[in-house]
Amino acid sequence: MAKYILKRIAGIFIVLFVVMTAAFFMMRLMPGGILDGVEENLSADMRDLIYAKYDMDKPIWEQYLLFLKGIVTEWDWGVSLKLYVNVSVWDILAERIPITLYLGFLSLLISVPIGIAFGTLAALKKNGIVDHAVSFLVVLFISIPSFVMATGLQYFVAYKWGWFPLIYDDSLPRITTTFLPVLALSFTPIATITRYLRAELSESLNSDYMLLARTKGLTRVQATLRHALRNSLVPVVNVIVPAFISIMGGSLVVESIFGIPGLGGITVRSINVADYSVTLASLIYYTLISLAAILLVDISYGLIDPRIRMGGRKDA
Amino acid sequence: MHKEEIKGRGSQYDGPALENDGLAAENNGPALEKDSLAPENNGPALEKDGLDPELMEIPQEKFRLVNLDMDESDEKFKGKPIGFLKDAFLRFSRNKVSMAALAGVLLVVFMAFAGPLMTPYGYNDQNPEEANLPPKMPGLEKLGILDGSRWLTSCRKDSLDEFPEGSILEIGTDVEKIRGVEVVSVKVDYYKYTGVEEDTYHYFGTDYLGRDLWTRLWRGTRISLLIGFLSAAANCVIGVLFGSIAGYYGGKVDMVMMRICEVINAIPQIVLVTLFILYFGSGLVSIVCALLVQNWVATATLIRSQFYRYKGREYVLAARSLGVSDRKLIFVHILPNAVGPVITRVMTAIPSAIFTESFLAFLGLGIKPPETSIGMLLADGQKVILTYPTQVLFPAIIISVLMVCFNLMSNGLRDAFDPTLRGA
Repeated sequence: MAKYILKRIAGIFIVLFVVMTAAFFMMRLMPGGILDGVEENLSADMRDLIYAKYDMDKPIWEQYLLFLKGIVTEWDWGVSLKLYVNVSVWDILAERIPITLYLGFLSLLISVPIGIAFGTLAALKKNGIVDHAVSFLVVLFISIPSFVMATGLQYFVAYKWGWFPLIYDDSLPRITTTFLPVLALSFTPIATITRYLRAELSESLNSDYMLLARTKGLTRVQATLRHALRNSLVPVVNVIVPAFISIMGGSLVVESIFGIPGLGGITVRSINVADYSVTLASLIYYTLISLAAILLVDISYGLIDPRIRMGGRKDA
Repeated sequence: MHKEEIKGRGSQYDGPALENDGLAAENNGPALEKDSLAPENNGPALEKDGLDPELMEIPQEKFRLVNLDMDESDEKFKGKPIGFLKDAFLRFSRNKVSMAALAGVLLVVFMAFAGPLMTPYGYNDQNPEEANLPPKMPGLEKLGILDGSRWLTSCRKDSLDEFPEGSILEIGTDVEKIRGVEVVSVKVDYYKYTGVEEDTYHYFGTDYLGRDLWTRLWRGTRISLLIGFLSAAANCVIGVLFGSIAGYYGGKVDMVMMRICEVINAIPQIVLVTLFILYFGSGLVSIVCALLVQNWVATATLIRSQFYRYKGREYVLAARSLGVSDRKLIFVHILPNAVGPVITRVMTAIPSAIFTESFLAFLGLGIKPPETSIGMLLADGQKVILTYPTQVLFPAIIISVLMVCFNLMSNGLRDAFDPTLRGA
């Protein structure tokens, strides 16, 4: 197990390195630089000075080595070049990561139990009216993008009915002001988990071990809870991670709709103004989050269900 | 049976003879019973006693083989053979939900081409005098919806006379006094209010530059669909090739190729897309490329597992022993087995591409203006949602309808190709 985890962590670092390198070189090689728009007003000396200050007069591979050295030795991610000139990138991110993570985890925390509840309900009443209603909602929620949901919620719940603040407001308790964004982010994962659990559970309910459980005298509720549900939950772990990653992606847009000062907003703004030290750092952060999530699932998979042979999961 | 046996045809004869038996039995009435008592009898000699003497005197020449004039060939199949694809198609067309979804998709596709032709406006015709008009549709306007009206809040009550003639439809009851001036909200015919020419219709209204949103929305739908189809087709081609090779050759080739897939898959989509856009600049090509980089991996894994399932079958072995080349084995013998999953996969790839495109547009990384897409319109409308909610309403409806229809359709296709998965 330990060897396996170490192997996965090594894999993570390789992917991270690939992403980091690709991102760094792409951004340095792309047309336009930090002096776009002001270049005409600067003398050649000034330009050279500025380039020298940010090490941009050196060859690109040397810049990359310096960048890596900065991170490894001093945890120095460089400074923002356009958005907040000369503010350390790490400080900018450190301020914003907590709220983005808060949104992501809260939304996951809401969606998992609701998804499990709906999925169980639909599987138990399979082909009944409840099942059809749930399935209809599932298709609806899976199909409608989270930003359309967010826009709708913002217009009706916040603006027309005035139940919640229209945009993020620091002075209000965090739960009220982030309620709508979290809700908008939760629809898709709820639907995904529901659909998946419904399929898994309805298969388990028809299995032989359920028949055995009923035969040995368990009530339907007991048999469902102890045997069918428990077995069906194992594969559900597998959809939770992609769900979390898609929440993180969705939060990019939802954050900008509700004006939440999270990582999403800063990433988008940094892309639009070509502040590439910020972009680079946030891309690395997103990569790290999703890699960590994948690792978590791989490990928990082995812990929850020892039947699964770790190495060959994909080939099964 | 009796006559049969007289001819020396034993009871070893079964199958078609059964019918002959029946015919023979009818002719010979009483003999039947006798016969069934002694079924093993093989020759006429044994049956002599106990039979009607008249029957016994039939001369040998009068006997002839019954089955000479019987048509013993197999019956022809009445229906036509139903192949795999046709079977799936039948199952798909019997599913009402899928058919409705298909109709929805076709309608949107049709409107994407016909819609812009229904108005006299081009998608980029700007007219500042007609900016931000509310939607107005002939026919529906008489019902009170989409009639080009809009509530104006906080109008000075004493200034109502200065409104263009006939533009006031309704005066609100919420009279308020602000600094001694009575203000009221008024429902006006916005087209008359702004002095737009008579008989001007903007079905979905106009945006801040006075561009007709009906024309722009359908034009944008066309671009979104184009992105969807292009990226789905391309990712299907790459995925099929990659997956086939990995699955067919297996072993080391497979391992290396699957590790590549894993690495690509581990990178979050946002990161990939951003990198592409940073490098190529925003636009159709970089969006399609960005969608391509990752989406084919799922197709490849799917195809690979199909190959693992089928490459060991006897018919493949037979073909191989006959000297069929690898390429032909892959594409002619094994790949057709995967056609169902591939079609379903392409159908799910289209909405996800459309989704990603609108997502990027929302981030300001979409198509280059003045060209537009559903996502661009949504993003533009979102900025003015509180003042002009209809500008975001229509794109939101279209994208939702499109996504729901595509998803329902791919569900239907999945059920049609593999009924065992139904409802999963």
